[in-house]
Amino acid sequence: MSPPRAGAPGPLEQALEITRKDLRLEARAGEALLVTAPFGAVALLLVPLAVGTDVPLLRSVGSGMYWVVVLLFGVLVTFRQSGVDAPPQVELLRLTGIHPAVQLLGRAGANAVLLLAFELAVLPVAVIVYDPPLHGWPWLLPVLPGVAIGLAVLGTLAGALTQGLAGRTTLGPLLVVPLALPLLLAATQSTEATRYGRTPWNWLALLALVDLVAALAVVLSARSLEEGS
Amino acid sequence: MRSLSRHLTTVAALAMAAGLVAALTAPPDQLQGNLQRLMYVHVPAAWLAYFSFAITFGASAGWLWKRTVRLDRLAAASAEVGVFFTGLTIVLGSVWGKPVWGVWWTWDPRLVTTALMFFVYLGYLALRRATADPTVRARRAAVFGVLAFAQVPVVHMSVIWWRALHQPPTVLKPGDPSIDHWMLAVLMLNVLAFTAVYAVLLRSRIRLAADEDAFEAAQDAATNDLAGAAVTAPDYGRKAGHGV
Repeated sequence: MSPPRAGAPGPLEQALEITRKDLRLEARAGEALLVTAPFGAVALLLVPLAVGTDVPLLRSVGSGMYWVVVLLFGVLVTFRQSGVDAPPQVELLRLTGIHPAVQLLGRAGANAVLLLAFELAVLPVAVIVYDPPLHGWPWLLPVLPGVAIGLAVLGTLAGALTQGLAGRTTLGPLLVVPLALPLLLAATQSTEATRYGRTPWNWLALLALVDLVAALAVVLSARSLEEGS
Repeated sequence: MRSLSRHLTTVAALAMAAGLVAALTAPPDQLQGNLQRLMYVHVPAAWLAYFSFAITFGASAGWLWKRTVRLDRLAAASAEVGVFFTGLTIVLGSVWGKPVWGVWWTWDPRLVTTALMFFVYLGYLALRRATADPTVRARRAAVFGVLAFAQVPVVHMSVIWWRALHQPPTVLKPGDPSIDHWMLAVLMLNVLAFTAVYAVLLRSRIRLAADEDAFEAAQDAATNDLAGAAVTAPDYGRKAGHGV
């Protein structure tokens, strides 16, 4: 990559601009919050009907169900239709000379914002339907963005791997969900730890580690993935 | 090369026969009796799954560096064989688990992480099948083949990180293996036999991939029009014949 000219935007500004572009597209389409979030809420409503409306049981599984819905439906958010660039848009981005890692991290930024919004939209439904114990809720403040970032980065990476493929919306989740297990574990175990009065530092550290490793994987593989598109 | 290939198949068949005889004649376990003999298949299958995915990892990294089609075929073939061995490991573990643990499946970290590893590599194979262009396929599969390997140490270390029902490592650990030495010898013989089977399967799959590539290339050559084929050349000879 040639050095940027004086006055040219730096990588951070470029990534933020791509994030803004993706969020603007999503604001027009409204897919994540107007389609996927209600779909996630429906899933949360259906589970008690399937396993039985036993209130103590639902209280104990509510937090876990919330995170499962975030994981499965959050992947759909990262693969939303408005996040798909047409080949001319991909070519145009390439011609601008923006490093592929910056492009992917910009998209991951937009996905993280949308996922956080998705988490916040579905959270009240889980609280109302399952009535989970809420002590230790302040620990959600680092957990919610931590999960959103990790899932966004993994989803973006899988999106780049499946770009242009006919079955990308089904193949992508198959690639992401098994690799996102540490995120699910960290999220659910943090909640569990606070329930028993423990501080979930270990699980937060796992969350941060997964986020970091996923971001590193995006940076290291971005160039190869751009060549392959 | 062909004679070597015949020998490899024979060696694999003989090794499997010897491994089977040794497994059936080894002393039974004091507590589990004959059920323990499943270990002589379950453990080699699990180790060969790790080995297969390590080869996929190495070949994928090698492809990103050298960009040779042989490394791509090696990565793909090894992943396929690895998925087979992982499936075998899960099924055999389940068959053993029912009489010993009382259940076909339990939420043990080793079982869960192994099942996830199975699905991660199924995803790898699905990614390959979904991508038509050979170069794009090789590149994307190589990136995912490197990433997916992160799952393998997690599976191996799961019994140490989370102590649950599955026993911790007895052989692949520092210090003296915590297993009867006669049983260990039989286990190692079966590991060798499974390795030979792995080599046979890997070689067959690589050859099949090469044949598939040659077939696709021949099909492309037969169906693709040559440059300028749309222009019909004047047939001077026939015109001359008519004129005569």
